[in-house]
Amino acid sequence: MDRRKALKNIGTGIGAIAVTPTVVSMFQSCQTAASYTPVFFNADDLNKVAQLMELIIPGTEIPGAIELKLPEFTDTYIKAVWSEGDQENLSKGWAAFLNAASQATGKDAAQLENSDWDAQLAKYLKPGNDIPASEATAAAFAEQLRHLTVNAFKTNEYIGENVLAYAPIPGDYKGCVDLMETTGGKAWSL
Amino acid sequence: METKYDAIVVGTGVSGGWAAKELCEKGLKTLVLERGRMIKHIEDYPTMNNDPWDYESGEVITNETKRVQPKQSRTGYTTAESSKHFFVNDHEHPYNETQRFDWMRGYHVGGRSITWGRQSYRLTDFDFEANIKDGIAVDWPIRYKDLAPWYDYVEGYIGVSGQNVGLPQFPDGNYLKPMDFNCVEDHLQESISKNYKDRLLTIGRTAIITEGTKPGLGRMTCQYRSRCIRGCPFGAYFSSNSSTLPAAENTGNMTLRPNSLVHEVLYDADKKRATGVRVIDTETKEVFEFSAKVIFLCASAVPSTSILMQSKSEAFPNGMGNESDQLGRNIMDHHLGVGASATTDDFKDKYYFGRRNNGIYIPRFRNIGGKTDQKNFLRGYGYQGGGSRSGWTSKVAELGYGAQFKEEVLNPGSWSIGLGGFGEVLPYEDNRMTLDYNKLDQWGLPTVTFDASLKENEFNMRKDMQQQAVEMLENARFKNVKGHDGDYALGLGIHEMGTARMGHDRKTSVLNKYNQIHDVPNVFVTDGSAMTSASNVNPSLTYMAMTARAANHAVEELKKMNL
Repeated sequence: MDRRKALKNIGTGIGAIAVTPTVVSMFQSCQTAASYTPVFFNADDLNKVAQLMELIIPGTEIPGAIELKLPEFTDTYIKAVWSEGDQENLSKGWAAFLNAASQATGKDAAQLENSDWDAQLAKYLKPGNDIPASEATAAAFAEQLRHLTVNAFKTNEYIGENVLAYAPIPGDYKGCVDLMETTGGKAWSL
Repeated sequence: METKYDAIVVGTGVSGGWAAKELCEKGLKTLVLERGRMIKHIEDYPTMNNDPWDYESGEVITNETKRVQPKQSRTGYTTAESSKHFFVNDHEHPYNETQRFDWMRGYHVGGRSITWGRQSYRLTDFDFEANIKDGIAVDWPIRYKDLAPWYDYVEGYIGVSGQNVGLPQFPDGNYLKPMDFNCVEDHLQESISKNYKDRLLTIGRTAIITEGTKPGLGRMTCQYRSRCIRGCPFGAYFSSNSSTLPAAENTGNMTLRPNSLVHEVLYDADKKRATGVRVIDTETKEVFEFSAKVIFLCASAVPSTSILMQSKSEAFPNGMGNESDQLGRNIMDHHLGVGASATTDDFKDKYYFGRRNNGIYIPRFRNIGGKTDQKNFLRGYGYQGGGSRSGWTSKVAELGYGAQFKEEVLNPGSWSIGLGGFGEVLPYEDNRMTLDYNKLDQWGLPTVTFDASLKENEFNMRKDMQQQAVEMLENARFKNVKGHDGDYALGLGIHEMGTARMGHDRKTSVLNKYNQIHDVPNVFVTDGSAMTSASNVNPSLTYMAMTARAANHAVEELKKMNL
């Protein structure tokens, strides 16, 4: 099925209420079914990164990072858009992040669990924590990953057309209007 | 194939489209030559309805694009996924830089009229009299009164929205209703009016229809999608493809020939007239000659100048009309990338509806007499900018990550506002382009070399541009006011001008007051190359007005048998 048509039918069929994750899966299954082959991270690392991204943008009544395939988008994005130098720095940051997580928990990278990732993100992304200089690179990685995740989230078709306020053809311009009346408090997607 | 015409127009951008329309409507059988491919209105705008998620990585400039279009990507926006196809492949169309020069262009029917910024302002006598008053370069051979009726005519035809404000340095025009300010812009306007006697803020004057329709291919009112650069399915902004070329086509007098690279104007020394042009068919590589009574060079400053430089004969050993040695000199642009930005925590409950592809404008307020005159620099600058609500709120940082964070990133960010200066660049003889016959392009033609830079006057002006922007935003009590003076090289304003300037005297200029080459009166050059000084305003409207005026003169002269 054509994804656009699927979305439009959903839009008219059940109005603007949040579409259930099952429905999301339905039209994602319309996309190419082939499994994703990573181009920046290796498969193992992308699984770990996906867990981190799911902590940043978790599934709620609105789908989360993994269901929206944000890790796949981000892996492709880094390779396609970032300069070689930035890619190298991100790789170093990821290595530092893994190292810091291992040191904090005394575990091998392979043994790290969701609660360990959560603790690391809390340390680096919640305000008010003193980050030791030795972990600056790891903390910078966490911030970059957060930026990448939010970018992927807001560039996502489902979010852009169904969750954010979507008006491909506004037809008019009004410069200063009430936020709640205009979009119910949501940002425009375009 | 017909090879004889009344008129030949080289180029199809804002100038070429206007030349085609005017000459065809006045009854001349006109051949319109375009070096690039055909672009049909709407049909050939493949990205016009795309959303960011229609691209693998969103609306970005990819590494692959930077490899193919390394120079075109210097703007940071023109080669994003939805508009990169309207800019050249730098490997196929190379040029040389003794000093960095950002030459941004697309080779296709419509030229940069598809991708232009649409800001449409009139020059004034502050501009036309500037060179003679300052003792710089040469005097313009025209004044505002010569061009004013043509500005009226062009604005009426293409549709320009804006507000009349009654400033002598910023002439009013023939405008459709102005677009709205948003809340922060409204606030800045009030603050500037309260704090300054010498300046005001108005909405940008833009070639977008804001009410009713205009002639062309179904041109109608703007739908506020902010996707102009891709080509507009509503024809709401002016382009050659939606407006002037269809008008020319409708007369039955136009023959439009894409893939036709003009590289030489042919000259008959006995008659002292140009006889036609030499063309390479870029698809078959065949060479043709076409003849006509009048020739309009409208290929944009650098290509038109390059054609004249290659038009060598016994009479013109250094290129046609180059007795003055001014051809290729005095290259100008508008210098930009300097200004200030700020944020505000106010107006949290306010937003906007629709996407207005137009900004705010602060007209020139320097060097227009009395207290406005500056010690450190000549001429002036205007500001363009705007307010928006994007990015992240401060709450986002507090939340860090997780479910509440996710909710918050779906809300509008804080308001921000920016002002960016557009400054006048003086004409300097040693800011120039030349041809390199040792580096030939794929057609065996010489490539262009740029050797030009900003100088002291511009650098001094930039300091004031930043300082005044910071001060105005601070006076409006915005927060986080930050000045910036970024990466700029000549060309980045995409307003190349001055390389075949107008003037009174054949010894110091290339063109006369009707854009005719002094010694070859049946060749008219009506693009940016004709500019004797740059002014500080966006130039396309002036090219259109000059072209319409020159076409009118050409037809009158033909009737009088003077050409």
